[in-house]
Amino acid sequence: MITPVFLISSMLLALSSTTADVSKGKDLVVHAEYLHLAPGELVRNALIQISDGKIAAVLPGRSAPVGAISVHSVMAGMVDASARTIPSNGAVEQSQEVIVNLSVTDALDLFNPAWDRLARSGVTTALIAPPDYNVIGGFTVVVKTSGAKRVDSRVVSGTPILRGAIGDIPSQGNSPAFGSPRDYFARRPTTRMGVEWEWRKAFFDAAQVERYPEMDFEGADVLRACLAGDVRIFIQAWTTADIRTAIYLDEEMQAEGYGDLDLVIDAGAEAWKEPDFLVRTGTPVVLPPFPATGRLGEQAFMPWDTGRKLIDLGVLVALSAHGETGLNGRLSTQAGYAIRGGLTFDEALACVTTNPASLLGVEERVGSVKAGMDADLVLWNGAPFSATSNIVGVVASGEVVLAPR
Amino acid sequence: MKISSLTRLASALALTAIAFGGDSYAIKVGKIITMAGDPIENGIVLIEDGRITTVGEASEVQIPWDAEVFEAPDLVAFPGQVEACTSGGMDRTNESIDVAPFLDVVDSVDPVNFFFEEVLRAGITTLNVQQGNSTVIAGRGMIVKPSGMTVAAMMVRPQSGIKIAITPKRGKSRAVQLMILREAFAGLRRTLEGMVQDSEVGKDLARREALAQGRDFEAEEGKGRAMTGSGWVVEGLEAVPRASIDSKLLPLLDIVEGRISVYLVCSTPMDVLHGLEIARENGFLSQTVMLIGPTCWKVSDEIKAAGVRGVILPSTLEHTERAPFADEDTVTLLPTHFTEKEIPFALASLNSTTQSLWFQAARCVGLGVDREIALAAITSGPAEVIGLGNDVGTIEKGKHGNLVLFSGDPLSLQSQVRYVFIEGKMVYDRTTDTRLQHLMEGVEPEGTAADEPVVEDVHEEEREDGDK
Repeated sequence: MITPVFLISSMLLALSSTTADVSKGKDLVVHAEYLHLAPGELVRNALIQISDGKIAAVLPGRSAPVGAISVHSVMAGMVDASARTIPSNGAVEQSQEVIVNLSVTDALDLFNPAWDRLARSGVTTALIAPPDYNVIGGFTVVVKTSGAKRVDSRVVSGTPILRGAIGDIPSQGNSPAFGSPRDYFARRPTTRMGVEWEWRKAFFDAAQVERYPEMDFEGADVLRACLAGDVRIFIQAWTTADIRTAIYLDEEMQAEGYGDLDLVIDAGAEAWKEPDFLVRTGTPVVLPPFPATGRLGEQAFMPWDTGRKLIDLGVLVALSAHGETGLNGRLSTQAGYAIRGGLTFDEALACVTTNPASLLGVEERVGSVKAGMDADLVLWNGAPFSATSNIVGVVASGEVVLAPR
Repeated sequence: MKISSLTRLASALALTAIAFGGDSYAIKVGKIITMAGDPIENGIVLIEDGRITTVGEASEVQIPWDAEVFEAPDLVAFPGQVEACTSGGMDRTNESIDVAPFLDVVDSVDPVNFFFEEVLRAGITTLNVQQGNSTVIAGRGMIVKPSGMTVAAMMVRPQSGIKIAITPKRGKSRAVQLMILREAFAGLRRTLEGMVQDSEVGKDLARREALAQGRDFEAEEGKGRAMTGSGWVVEGLEAVPRASIDSKLLPLLDIVEGRISVYLVCSTPMDVLHGLEIARENGFLSQTVMLIGPTCWKVSDEIKAAGVRGVILPSTLEHTERAPFADEDTVTLLPTHFTEKEIPFALASLNSTTQSLWFQAARCVGLGVDREIALAAITSGPAEVIGLGNDVGTIEKGKHGNLVLFSGDPLSLQSQVRYVFIEGKMVYDRTTDTRLQHLMEGVEPEGTAADEPVVEDVHEEEREDGDK
């Protein structure tokens, strides 16, 4: 019985001697017939060597070594710049409308099974933001969707990002301006106009502190950092009226000489209606999931060629699931829909990898398959995003999250 | 009519293949995916009086001189897809009463509901519209085509089936659900037995009541006839005129006598077993279609042995089970499983727009289902399951001329449904689909509320009069 086993193993050794150098000392080796390094960069029959959670090397033109994971296509792990499923509404601090000193980091529940679903759907990095029930809800956090159940090990440090909302949602449920308050937590604002006023007031007050130090208040330093462009602001604005409000806010601050906000429009469903606002200010937009019947949050209408229209005008676009669950809430489905709406494959790939990564300031770590980057890979059994392809495997920070069968 | 029968005689005499008058169409496309054999490159489909007469290569098919020809050399023809069971397009999908088979979906369907527009746009040409899952015995559903301004114009087969839910609606227990269901059939049996007894002793009150209401005893369906069916039979029913039976009970009798299909809602394996038992007892097994849940593959042997007509698969398409200690996933791919078990099955749309039948078939392929199986599961499969296998589901001679012309592969995200033909007539043209243009490109359809109102100058005429 010993001899045949010995024979087989020595044969294997002989066979793998050519490939020994590629898998030796590496934690994991993945082989792809088609490897999308980054949008527009495709290599054939590539080996991806992974060690210590990072991509050690990418070797094109190789055959799959024995025992390596080998699939049809591999692309970088996706980045969702608006993954909202994780914190509950309880993560909204209710004492003030403008909360700039808190971070959603403290509200993360890493034991929530939603993380696993997100990771297995190919989203390996996500921006988690406070929900929109405040005008400015606080600091966001960029995290890896899988890994140890410790927040500090999951955080990907990039550009500091503050998040808030314009529109009706931050005023929903607040007590009216007349009658007696319903409860102790009577809150303002109660209208869309009030929400807008809170934004203006926050930045105006913060700007005054320069000249009048006695007007200083908690959080003014953060708002001033926003005006200085050191902190990026994600503003949820579904409708074109709300996008306009956000852009006017920025332009007003510039006109007054207070500073220049580093804006990103989140859930910008109607960005296509008046794209000039985004074009002239160079403001990127994160799109919500494509709607089955056209209408989205705040009754905003988003046609399926929105990505096409905005990219043609030079606007930086990222796709997102924006908290939607199920099949529609998968970022890969959204990329497919964007292609149905007229995007090329590479544009769609950029919209779920490199573009959101740059919006979060983490493009040096995630979003493309290059040596030295995080080993975040999505493995497909066919062309990525095609309706007839499926994500069969996911590697996140070098760990196999979803193993190909 | 006379002319067309004369020409038929003429063709029968092999004088010429030319048809005359009637509705004759020829659709010439770059490729025909017939779903009944190999695809045909550069093919022609001839349709006469709504039915396909010829399918073949362009070089071999003679187009009749009077046929209306539609040519699209860059498009791909695919059979109109078949939705095996849906509750779309209805006013309300469920009843508040538990047993309502005397109701008819015909009264609930709104032909101008956007739902029908959406499914047509997705390339579905046949729909089995049944009530929702929250009534124990629902009203009678029907098979329609998604085109036409009236229900009559949409009709393919009226009263095509009744939905029976084994799985209880929320808030109800299975025990109560099954009790109501069994009692419905037991009640029918008691009533019929009572009527037979009454007729024997001359105490046929029901008959006298029906006479007073003017029900027709002399019409063929009104006369008494012996009960048939493979379940239970009430002896001596021939003595009871059918017209004297309460019309609220007649649909149940139709079920027991095997005249109407039953769509049995079974979301768990235990429901399947109960459902099969009730169907067997009451004689409707062979006309039963089961709407099953993801775990019901576990009783596929029982389903096969029972000999039901088919199953409609859940939208999840696969079932994953994790062994608690081994930490190993067992994945069952439902279309593959039911193909192996040789049980006819159909896929169902997830929604009427983005995740329609073609999308489900594409997902199947992604999950590893054979492409041919996936395509059949949205065309010929559902056609068989709803009992229309001879009429729709493939592009072949004798079937309805229901064709969808895609711009490319039917399962590609980049393909578009360009035209849809139902019974040879073009019922959908993408270039005139203003609502789709709105959805895809944001172009507001003319005449919608969002348009700038056109203010007519009502005084114009007066002024002109004044000038004179």
